[in-house]
Amino acid sequence: MATILKTDKVCKYFDGVKAVDKVSIEVEEGIILGIIGPNGAGKTTLFNVLTGMLAETDGKVIYKNKDITKLSPQDITNIGISRTFQNIKLFDHLSAHENVKIGFHTKTKTGFIDAIFKTKTYKNDEQKVNEKGIKLLKRVGLAEKQEILGQNLSYGDKRRLEIARALAVEPDLLLVDEPTAGMNAKETRTIVELLDKLNDEGITVIIIEHDMGVIMNLCDEIVVLNDGNVISRGDPNYVQNDPAVREAYLGKGAS
Amino acid sequence: MFSNSKISNIIGKLKGIILENKLKIYLIILISAVIFPIITDNQYYIYIGVLTLMYMILASSLNIIVGYTYQYLIGFAGFFAIGAYTTAIITTSYEVNFIFVFLISGIIASIFALLLGIPTSRLGGIFFAFATLGFGEIIRLIIINWDTLTRGTFGIPGIPRPKLFNFIINTNTNFYYFALLILLVQLFISYRVINSRVGRAWLSLKENSEAAKAMGIKIAKYRVLNLMYGTFWAGMGGAFFAYFTQYVSPDTFVLDEGFRIFAMVLVGGMGTLIGPIAGSGLLTILPELVREFARYQLIIYGIAILLIIHYRPQGLFGAKELAQAKVEEKK
Amino acid sequence: MFWIRQIINGITQGSIYALMAIGYSLIFGKLLLVTFAFGEMVVFGVFVSYYLYAIAGLNLFLAVIIALPISWGLGMLVDKICYEKFRDEPRFLMLITTIGFGIFLKSFTQLIFGTGYRSYPNFIEGKIIVGGIRITYIQIFIILTTLLLLYGLNLFFKKTKLGVGIIALSNDLDAAKLVGINVNKSIKFGHSLGVVLGVFGGMMMVSYYNAIGASMGPILGLKAFTVVVFGGITSLPGAIIGGFTLGILENLSVATFGSGYKDIVAFVILILILVLRPSGLLGKKIDLF
Ligand SMILES: Nc1ncnc2c1ncn2[C@@H]1O[C@H](COP(=O)(O)OP(=O)(O)O)[C@@H](O)[C@H]1O
Ligand SMILES: [Mg+2]
Repeated sequence: MATILKTDKVCKYFDGVKAVDKVSIEVEEGIILGIIGPNGAGKTTLFNVLTGMLAETDGKVIYKNKDITKLSPQDITNIGISRTFQNIKLFDHLSAHENVKIGFHTKTKTGFIDAIFKTKTYKNDEQKVNEKGIKLLKRVGLAEKQEILGQNLSYGDKRRLEIARALAVEPDLLLVDEPTAGMNAKETRTIVELLDKLNDEGITVIIIEHDMGVIMNLCDEIVVLNDGNVISRGDPNYVQNDPAVREAYLGKGAS
Repeated sequence: MFSNSKISNIIGKLKGIILENKLKIYLIILISAVIFPIITDNQYYIYIGVLTLMYMILASSLNIIVGYTYQYLIGFAGFFAIGAYTTAIITTSYEVNFIFVFLISGIIASIFALLLGIPTSRLGGIFFAFATLGFGEIIRLIIINWDTLTRGTFGIPGIPRPKLFNFIINTNTNFYYFALLILLVQLFISYRVINSRVGRAWLSLKENSEAAKAMGIKIAKYRVLNLMYGTFWAGMGGAFFAYFTQYVSPDTFVLDEGFRIFAMVLVGGMGTLIGPIAGSGLLTILPELVREFARYQLIIYGIAILLIIHYRPQGLFGAKELAQAKVEEKK
Repeated sequence: MFWIRQIINGITQGSIYALMAIGYSLIFGKLLLVTFAFGEMVVFGVFVSYYLYAIAGLNLFLAVIIALPISWGLGMLVDKICYEKFRDEPRFLMLITTIGFGIFLKSFTQLIFGTGYRSYPNFIEGKIIVGGIRITYIQIFIILTTLLLLYGLNLFFKKTKLGVGIIALSNDLDAAKLVGINVNKSIKFGHSLGVVLGVFGGMMMVSYYNAIGASMGPILGLKAFTVVVFGGITSLPGAIIGGFTLGILENLSVATFGSGYKDIVAFVILILILVLRPSGLLGKKIDLF
């Protein structure tokens, strides 16, 4: 199996806080990788560095054998990495459908001239974002809510919409940050099923999650972060029984 | 006296009626605008009509920038000036078809927008506002000081009338229809751009720039494009002004002119195409109805902005975002 | 000799800018009140003193002393209209309210005091010649007064409860609330203090150049803002350094290129700083949105 993403001693320090410290991981193509760890372990910060939203303090990120460490978030999206946010970032005053349409930005080409003269490019693009947009909304179970403004959706629906929008980018690697936070058991199950299905269709997934049930069910491999360091990694069974992991969690008093 | 709830009740009902009959209402407004110069032969009214249409063009330009990307362009008068002076300088030296003159005026304004936009593309809010205030003043200072090109404070008189084949656009009525045509073309084009990938990108950076980045949208690029597109129409508005008044001078393009247009956008409601039209209509025609207002015009504009932000932040006809932004923050 | 004189002029001008910028920095950097109406408030306050002196016939110093509390009141009014309701709301709303108020106040000033330029008297006449260089008393007066005020402000922010409270609240709002600082009152006080400092700087400026016009507001605002951004928005010492730098650069540029483009200097500095070092010389990194 080929490696899709590799980090080499990635560090991110904030004024002395080592949020991410020399993290080296390898992600095989086609798997679902779980990242767990107590609050403040540096999981979200790692996502931010991977997606170029934060500049790394040190280290390297390799995607499909290409060094993407210095790329802008936009370029990283362009080459097929897409993400959702732990603290949901929707376009609040636009409808669910509009939200997803914007997700197709990199997959469409319409410029001023196309828009003004309704050229073929414009027509193709609009057809694409409309049809595929609806399809994506259907996939995440928001078909009936396409006209509702982002801010008026329920918490769970917001998370679903974020996933739909992230899929519009047509990614090969999808990073989801606590996608089931605040959801009930039933809602959580739909998200798990969705991610599983996406993975079957060939999308590599990295998921940050606190719900151990989700992690154990879904992941092929797990990385455990604590205080910015990788303290354990392996298949779910191994990680679950690793004393270092127990200590980190119990020591911090988290889940 | 009405009670507060009664008023909002009435407004609510009115809104319902307006929303249901949106197209009909637009059509009625358009038809009234078209027949206006026919039913009146009072030259002064028609003259005010021309000015109103010109401000509608300008307010619609500024609205694209302020209302769709929240770039608070304070030095707007600078771009209006660039358009007007480009037209004045070209037409007083060469004989060029006015359609080209218009396009060149718009394009030159856009080029200046590019020069301003690149260094300011990362700036938001008040930083952008002050940077563009400085820019607007510099344009005025350059106009005053570069007198070999602009005749300095004397201004440039004698701008010829636009001519199409043998037809000369000359009377107030001619200019009235000419302005109406420009406005309609502008609105048509803006409508199409806004409802496309480009317009959605603009909205995304106003809504949530982090999320926009994650969608692969190049923020700086779309901000600068937005600035260039909006100022293109400001340049066109400037060209119209120069042709209409046949004289340009630096006195016209003071900051106040920008503030005036800013007030029109805010009062009418930014972020919709119709808001600034209503705002400029209201703020140009009302002061004419009550002539004593003329002296107090900007005072009233300032108060109008304050009242709007306090009581109806989305403007009289504006998009709901502002009102919602407030509600959300309060939650 | 010529250049030394330009530098002295620059230092004088710089003292004035420093004073105004401290007022601005207090409002914008410390209290995080976005303001676009600062220049207009300054011009209004200065005009009040002009009116009391030239129209009502008061002694100049008395006119100044009465105009300052009136400026204080203006500060309270602006806080009431532009900020109070919007403290916890998106900050661009404050930008819009102060733009609205600025438009109003500028036109209001023009309506009452006229649109033209008025001549404003020197606080002190006369000059001395030191080593062949002419220094006017007003220059000495301005520089000394500024230094004295800066010293006083330093004491205020370090030693008084109110001053310490304002700094505390700018560092950590929640902590300040916890230790019982009255946030609303401190903000009102700090804002008015900022306005009065600005107005006083404005008075010295028009007294130095002998002219005041109601339309000067926006450019004064731009300059105060530039100085503050240059020095680092959150840093009061930065505002002082920025003030002197702008004053000296403006005077050198006038000496080199003539006075036509003097106002451009501030803009060029502003753009350069924002592009090259958005946190300014001494400031903390802040969010440009
Ligand atoms: N923008 C930031 N500035 C300063 N510190 C930060 C920032 N983002 C995260 N941190 C710090 O980095 C550490 C890791 O945070 P985070 O990555 O959010 O943890 P997790 O997602 O694992 O809960 C925390 O101590 C947090 O306070
Ligand atoms: Mg996190």
